Amino acid sequence: MTLSGPMARRDLLRRLGVGAGVLPFLGNLPSLAVEAAGPKRRLVIVFSPDGVVKKHFWPAAAGPLVATELPRILAPFAPFTDRLLTVKGVNNVVTGDGDGHMRGMGCLLTGIELFPGNVQGGSDTPAGWASGLSIDQEIRHHLQADPATATRFGSLEFGVLVPNRADTWTRMVYAGPNKPVTPIDDPYQMFAKLYGETKDRESLQSVLDEVREDLARVAAAVPAEDRRILEEHATLVRGLERDLAARRPPLTHAVPVLEQGVIEQNDQMPRLSRMQIELVVSALAADFTRVATLQYTNSVGQPHMTWLGIDEGQHELSHEPNSNEAAQEKLTKINTWYAGEIAWLARRLAETPEPDGSGSLLDHTTILWTNELGEGNSHSRDDIPWVLLGGGLGFTAGRAVEFPGVPHNRFLLTLAHALGHTGLVRFGNPDHCGEGPLTGLA
Amino acid sequence: MPFPTSSRRATSLAVAAVWMWAWSGSAPADDHPGLAIYREHCQRCHGAEGVGTAAFPDPLVGERSVHQLAVVIDETMPEDDPTKVTGEAARQVAAYIHEAFYSPVARDRHRPARVALARLTVRQHRQALADLVGSFRGPPPAIDADRGLAGEYFKTRTFNRDKGLVLERTDPTIAFDFGTAGPAPGTIEPKRFAIRWTGAIVPVETGLHEFVIRTEQAARLTVNGGPRGPALIDATVKSGSDTEHRASMFLLGGRAHPLTLEVWKSLQGVDNDEAEKAEPTSIRLLWKQPHGALETVPARVLIPHAAPRVFAAATPFPPDDRSIGYERGTDVSEEWLAATAAAAIATADHVLDDLEKLSGVVADAPDRAARLREFATTFAERAFRRPLTPEQRALVVERPFADAPDPDTGLRRSILAVLGSPRFLFVEAADDDAFATAARLSFGLWDSIPDEPLREAAARDELATAEQLRGHAERMVQDRRTRAKVRDFLFSWLRVDLGPELAKDPARHPEFTPEVAADLRTSLELFLVEAVWSGRDFRGLFTADELPVNGRLAPLYGAPLPADADFTRVRLDDGRRGGLLSHPYLMSVLSYPSSTSPIHRGVFLARGVLGNTLRPPQEAIAPLPAEQHPDLTTRERVALQTSAVACQTCHTLINPLGFALEEFDEIGRYRAAEPGAGGSRPIDASGSYQPRSGSPATFRGGRELAAYVAGSRDAHEAFVQAAFHALVKQPVRAWGDDTLPRLTESFAASGFDIPRLLVDIMMVAAVPPRQRVASAPVPESSP
Repeated sequence: MTLSGPMARRDLLRRLGVGAGVLPFLGNLPSLAVEAAGPKRRLVIVFSPDGVVKKHFWPAAAGPLVATELPRILAPFAPFTDRLLTVKGVNNVVTGDGDGHMRGMGCLLTGIELFPGNVQGGSDTPAGWASGLSIDQEIRHHLQADPATATRFGSLEFGVLVPNRADTWTRMVYAGPNKPVTPIDDPYQMFAKLYGETKDRESLQSVLDEVREDLARVAAAVPAEDRRILEEHATLVRGLERDLAARRPPLTHAVPVLEQGVIEQNDQMPRLSRMQIELVVSALAADFTRVATLQYTNSVGQPHMTWLGIDEGQHELSHEPNSNEAAQEKLTKINTWYAGEIAWLARRLAETPEPDGSGSLLDHTTILWTNELGEGNSHSRDDIPWVLLGGGLGFTAGRAVEFPGVPHNRFLLTLAHALGHTGLVRFGNPDHCGEGPLTGLA
Repeated sequence: MPFPTSSRRATSLAVAAVWMWAWSGSAPADDHPGLAIYREHCQRCHGAEGVGTAAFPDPLVGERSVHQLAVVIDETMPEDDPTKVTGEAARQVAAYIHEAFYSPVARDRHRPARVALARLTVRQHRQALADLVGSFRGPPPAIDADRGLAGEYFKTRTFNRDKGLVLERTDPTIAFDFGTAGPAPGTIEPKRFAIRWTGAIVPVETGLHEFVIRTEQAARLTVNGGPRGPALIDATVKSGSDTEHRASMFLLGGRAHPLTLEVWKSLQGVDNDEAEKAEPTSIRLLWKQPHGALETVPARVLIPHAAPRVFAAATPFPPDDRSIGYERGTDVSEEWLAATAAAAIATADHVLDDLEKLSGVVADAPDRAARLREFATTFAERAFRRPLTPEQRALVVERPFADAPDPDTGLRRSILAVLGSPRFLFVEAADDDAFATAARLSFGLWDSIPDEPLREAAARDELATAEQLRGHAERMVQDRRTRAKVRDFLFSWLRVDLGPELAKDPARHPEFTPEVAADLRTSLELFLVEAVWSGRDFRGLFTADELPVNGRLAPLYGAPLPADADFTRVRLDDGRRGGLLSHPYLMSVLSYPSSTSPIHRGVFLARGVLGNTLRPPQEAIAPLPAEQHPDLTTRERVALQTSAVACQTCHTLINPLGFALEEFDEIGRYRAAEPGAGGSRPIDASGSYQPRSGSPATFRGGRELAAYVAGSRDAHEAFVQAAFHALVKQPVRAWGDDTLPRLTESFAASGFDIPRLLVDIMMVAAVPPRQRVASAPVPESSP
């Protein structure tokens, strides 16, 4: 057990609610302070890999979006057209060590160079981890510092089929320089993180009857002098039972029920995706966090979407030239599948009311869909895909916006400002922050 | 645990008869000549029967012999005029007091010792959980002389034995600087290689251990991890200028935890050896033990053999009661219950995480539910140390499974019910079937549950004869768990188990660094291990004139060793040292930062080593500052400070013992003279001791003191009693007043062989004593 072990256990002791001076079960209790702070604002960043098929991704021109005229890849968003915002002309201009995929991934949310290191790409120099934290973690720190916006976890990092190896291609979120955060791509593990204590408490409660019966039987069989300690023990067990019952947190939502026995493998990707989406929705409904990331595979991701009739890996296809129509068609289908998952997430958020009754979760949540590359075969990091869906950031939606090629650091700053972190003037490499947050989105 | 059992009492008693002696002791008659003297001179302060009075509330009880008492009374009592009771009168009143209420036997008569039901101590709880889970894994590696880690050197960037393995060897420590030439010039290209070290680590202490890797290259360290578990330190991505990586892990002292360290001098990702070049490469594995300093992990804690994972419950527990000198589980509290619940949850998590390996039941087994119930039943039987009755099985297996939504949750709940049951949490006290005997043996020697041979012997009822018991005890005493328990016992006996703060006046002793203090602790550790397990005997603890010293300690204590020498036995100070008693660690612990403390040393000797009872001082007294008495030696200052009559009752015993160690200064160096304002004064190391029987002894210096202690019946008996209590955690007198003297005699007869003593103690304690006073009916377990 690492250092987190004993600490985690101490936390567990505390959260089991035994003894005096126990903190309430944070995060499951509706926070009274929230009402004073205005409506919640949430951000869910969704990543899919290997660039997009530009002609089927970007709207033909800036301006209002029309549901029936959305590009093919964005078509699944049609029911939410009035909440949809596409942002073009924002480029990842970070240079330095690492190949295009590595810098695409490691600098996507950090906006800063990679350290030199030992991870060698297909070109360029080897590199290590990013040299700064990612914007979601920056926002997390800001929200956690204020009791009105602090939540139990601060942020949650979800994944779907992220390979079991830690390198520059598999990590997008950074808690700080050289501090990549591992996404949890096992829904059961994420469930245990979110609801494990509740389950522990239930399990413990469920056996206390047996323990008390056993104590009574044993006590009956020992000499009178020895009964005292067993009677004290039984009294303590009754106390624990009362404590557990009294401190059962008021649930603001139903604990999701996951399909059992889904194994992490390529063909299960659609099921794993839906399970993780369900947990994202639950975590937001419970106000466990206001910031989440959902990472599909990894940079250079190689899912084989056999359920779409595509046998080749995605990365392999993404290297084909634009003239290869068959590959372009498959990549379009692949990206449309990702859009469909995101649309499902939007639908689930739209169906789920805010616990305080002020509309739906989607009204106060923005999903941001992005990618480490603008285009796979050229490894271009110009026109990084940014698709926003939902009402968490207060941007004016239902339109396509284009910027004249601005560094993405400014867009990252814009996200922070929209979530209330208005004191942030530089993020990542300060040379790329220009005149600060982008204007014209709100 | 005292559950009703039926038929085995007869056989158990047959064994018991060998080891039980009549409980005796009689109260003095009313016409005892000492009684009149007591009433006249003593009772006004000490009260009738020595119960105390408002002015002197402490009861008059202790461990001194009649003779020792008589000396004290003669010299110091009554306090207002010590000349009133002397000579024969002092002897008579001492005899009365001793027989009537003072002595352990007299107290025992008033409040007879009994074996009381006790919960597991914290140590027992952790050890039992480790063995409970561990019983479903493979056996730990055997104890042998191999040390270090098994190294595999690869010329490739992956650990492919067929394609890349070029060198295998055992490396004692991991502290290499390969420079730019690589680990094997000529065999391995320095620009691309990978090394993997595997084996196990056997830490000394239980607690949080910090591990540190220092390397310019990529590395990964796994300690006590599962095959899928995360590494303790994952620095496989080299990034930036980080060359040091740290992480901590909770480990159990004396157990072998698997360890793997990997290092790569290569790029990962796309295979492009054009991009690789020779670079300076070093790799070092360091740790910081509890109470230790950062150091290279020494070879003596590494073994080059595979070991199964150890379940080390890191759950913090409230400390056990040790008010009577040994840890025992005689109280329960809210914090304790919460800790047991948290430890049970941690155990269930661990079992469920590694279920396939532990239970042998694969995820999609068609009969999974039934087989998990069987696993739960076995788990419960091992936790309870006996087969389940149908009723118990219904309670802790069937019901939790029946109530749960799925078998995995059922197993989790069953584990919680088992680990919350008094049948797990309380130790067999008075039960006397073969299963209880097996558990008493294993808790006595290991602080843990029975292993497979014991379980099988109990099931076949083969723990009835003395030969059968001795056979198991002798086998068990050679186990790593006994070594760990004895190590913890000895550190606790020496009062250094909790890691005393050991800092010295930096102006006087700038060389006494935390590293030196940690090395001294290691030296004591090694000294004890060798004394107990390498054919030496109890007397050797005191008479050995060699101590383990390493290169860092050598200049400080005058040993001729090179600076990088590992611990080696060295004869110091021309043989003036007396083993344990003058060990520099103990001497430093029993000192102030800038002067010795004959009182601390004397109390340690009088109480800990010679087994006398001392009451705390009647008032807290700060030591006299040396500056106020620049003309006095430490000895003279202490004599002055404790010269009051009220002090003398105890300090006539304490001081002459402590003074004999004055030739060892506050960091345990030998000295012939003590510096002072008026110039250096020669050390007076003369001392004395009045044993509980026999004539007074005198000695001069640590060597003579140690020789005396080694042959002292008081010391032998005190050690036997301490060992008994550490092992059994019940009062030895519950087995009859003759048990301690008899064990002491057999200890002497064996040539003071400590492992043999442990076996003899367990031969007694494996069978419950006949409880002398049944103050309430004991319905079902009575014969």
